[in-house]
Amino acid sequence: MILGVVPGNSTAALRPSPTQPRPRPSLTDASGGRVFRLAQWPGGGGGWTRLSSSAFRARAAVGEGAKARGSFYELLGIPESGSFDDIKRAYKQMALKYHPDVSPPDLAEEYTRRFIEVQEAYETLSDPRLRALYDRDLTRGLHLAFSARRRVDEELEERSGWRSRWQDQLAGLKKRSMNKKSEGNLSWGDRMRKQRTELSTE
Amino acid sequence: MPLWVPERSQVAPAACLSPSPEAPRALSLFSSSSFLPLPNSQCLVWRTDLLVISLFRMAEQPYTVASDSETTGDDKSQSAFHDLAIGIEVGTSKCSIAVWNGAQVELLRNTRKQKSMRSYVMFKDDTSSGEASSGGASNKTAYEEKEILSGSAIFNMKRLIGRADTDPIVHASKNLPFVVQTLGIGVKPFIAALVNNVWRSTTPEEVLAIFLVELKTMAEVQLKRLIRNVVLTIPVSFNRFQQIRVERACAMAGLHVLRLMPEPTAVALLYAQQQQQQQQQSLHGGMGSGCEKVALIFNMGAGYCDVATTATAGGVSQIKAMQGCTLGGEDILKNVLYHLLPNFDSLYSNRDTNKIRSMGLLRIAAQDAIHRLSTQSSVQINVDLGDGTKMQRVLHQSEFEEVNRNVFEICEKLIKLCLADSKLAAEDINDVILVGGCSRIPKIRSLVLGLCKKEKEYEGMDALEAAVTGAALEGAVASGITDPSGSLDMLTIQATPLSLGIRVHGGGFVPIIQRNTAIPVRKSTIFTTTQDGQTEALIVVYEGDGKMVEENHLMGYFKVTAIPLAPKGTAEISVCMDIDAANTLRVFAGAMMLGTDRANSPFFEVRMPTLDDAHGWCAQALVKTHGSALDLTTIPKELQPQKVQ
Repeated sequence: MILGVVPGNSTAALRPSPTQPRPRPSLTDASGGRVFRLAQWPGGGGGWTRLSSSAFRARAAVGEGAKARGSFYELLGIPESGSFDDIKRAYKQMALKYHPDVSPPDLAEEYTRRFIEVQEAYETLSDPRLRALYDRDLTRGLHLAFSARRRVDEELEERSGWRSRWQDQLAGLKKRSMNKKSEGNLSWGDRMRKQRTELSTE
Repeated sequence: MPLWVPERSQVAPAACLSPSPEAPRALSLFSSSSFLPLPNSQCLVWRTDLLVISLFRMAEQPYTVASDSETTGDDKSQSAFHDLAIGIEVGTSKCSIAVWNGAQVELLRNTRKQKSMRSYVMFKDDTSSGEASSGGASNKTAYEEKEILSGSAIFNMKRLIGRADTDPIVHASKNLPFVVQTLGIGVKPFIAALVNNVWRSTTPEEVLAIFLVELKTMAEVQLKRLIRNVVLTIPVSFNRFQQIRVERACAMAGLHVLRLMPEPTAVALLYAQQQQQQQQQSLHGGMGSGCEKVALIFNMGAGYCDVATTATAGGVSQIKAMQGCTLGGEDILKNVLYHLLPNFDSLYSNRDTNKIRSMGLLRIAAQDAIHRLSTQSSVQINVDLGDGTKMQRVLHQSEFEEVNRNVFEICEKLIKLCLADSKLAAEDINDVILVGGCSRIPKIRSLVLGLCKKEKEYEGMDALEAAVTGAALEGAVASGITDPSGSLDMLTIQATPLSLGIRVHGGGFVPIIQRNTAIPVRKSTIFTTTQDGQTEALIVVYEGDGKMVEENHLMGYFKVTAIPLAPKGTAEISVCMDIDAANTLRVFAGAMMLGTDRANSPFFEVRMPTLDDAHGWCAQALVKTHGSALDLTTIPKELQPQKVQ
């Protein structure tokens, strides 16, 4: 990894909500070979820890991210007044540079980390509500990347609720079509589907 | 040059009689480096030998994975294309292979000049060379469809691979000419081909491996170089367990899988390239990143149906959402077969050779009728089933659509679900791309176009070649090939088609990575104990979108130890999931020290899936043995540790 991790109290920053994914940390190995590990984590037993991730995040966002690249806008290289189209275009240009598929092999690890940051910036700014919240924080001087993440998580939660509604509807549809066909004279497809449902509910 | 060029008489007995330590090495040497790119007859002889060896080896012991990394690492050639990955699409029915030739993607043809080859492997008993086999890519004689359906050939392996004998798709394959037996005990189904009137057992992986060896040989002869890396297309609905089986079949054939690419995402990459080229032509080299175009890709082949939405600009295709299921031409064919011959099952249950033959004839006639119905409103079916019975009747398109109503309904649901997942309305879609053999069925075309409110589909893509072309493009891009004209400056940002998560107390499924999340990605969630003083916890990883674990696919499990003694609901166990660009899943988990943010002991890192075959009842066995003693649960929202700043 390019970035070092400085252990400190501020690392206790972030925890995920119980049902939601944690914020994307800024590290992933791209080659499929090595994974990020903390070598000198006091009391951490040398293992990879959840905290190392958030510590790393905090550091990346405050130390490197915020100072070197600043806000999500700076990360994507667009003005704060940039339109939705600007954001999408910038995201795709950045992806073409940093995605592990196209990055030079020796830089794959660092570029993957950047890609995940770009992905995070895009996900925040491409959503009007999240962008408004992020902009508000930004005007207060809180342009820390991760400060927006909790809202992304909340948003995700909302979205998954919306998803499960969809799934419920679909399940209902399936069930109805199943009942409709349960009386004799079943075609092959019907029998197979019936069998499948029976098997899956066993 | 190969280090070791054996005579046939030496190798075959050694490999088949004694599973000596030498034998696997022989196989790996053979599979990875002995194919000389010389189109001479010797090459063919060796190939046959390899098949003999691999057949015996595969039959005897569980999958000696040919180690390709050690044997080929040192013979780096100067050619930039040495490691260029080729694209392969192994379809349920047809298969094709393509490669970036330096300027564009080129589809390879077999010796019969076919770009699209039938996917099957014929098992033959040849007294001179023992058992040998050959498939649609073989240089040897082409088998007619009639022979393929005689019971001696295995096909449809894409539908069978990685499935246990409890899987409904396996049950639905029982009326194929070869034997598929199930005992419902969660193990590999019994699959066998007829060789000299004896049923010889095999596995879908073995069949796929033999087939891939032939494809590899064919490509090596034509490209005059060794082939090592491949990008293989897979259906969207393949779970990680099925993906592992495909990778293993590739390893048996001496191929390294650079990427497994869901078919519609390969099509999306081709679309991105076409859009890019169009824009460059119209703008004369502006930034090449004009406005974003959204496309819905509908792919339906013989075995699977996939739907994906993609947003494309500047050569980058971003997958918004994917949906897929096991539904294809094979299901349509069966619906028609049962319509033509309602007692199909009982007629062919005894597997008499003559019956198998007439079943094959009927299949061919029905398949042909379905093809003709794409352009005609009714077709005449005339088939002599050979045992005195003749079938003569007319099949109307309306009849065809009625017996396949359930198929069309599922297609419709998939598209609606995919649009909802990607938060798109029909009006947001710029292009509708229809690919795969079944996209030629008029009813399916009108259905997809109707749902997307479009008059006509996107033009400029060959429905049968789009996926393999995209795979070859991905092969070039991911191999690091660049093109001065910029036609390889592109990318597909993949997404996970299925959610990944773990089992919690009560059998619920808690996703950690939601489906349709862009990859690479890393996410984690904190869980807590369900027992007082619980010191160990079982992390049971599932893939799928059901609310309960039994609706999803078990990927593996491992135990987290050294949880500090604490009342239930207070200890914290962190579970993190990481997917890299090559789609490899790793799960990290460990207990935290109470009240701190430090790990209590080193975290476990496990690559998933860990399970091999016969995992059918694993989950039940775990519950039976351990009850809820090792269960985890989510932390209630109000007790979640608050952000400290």
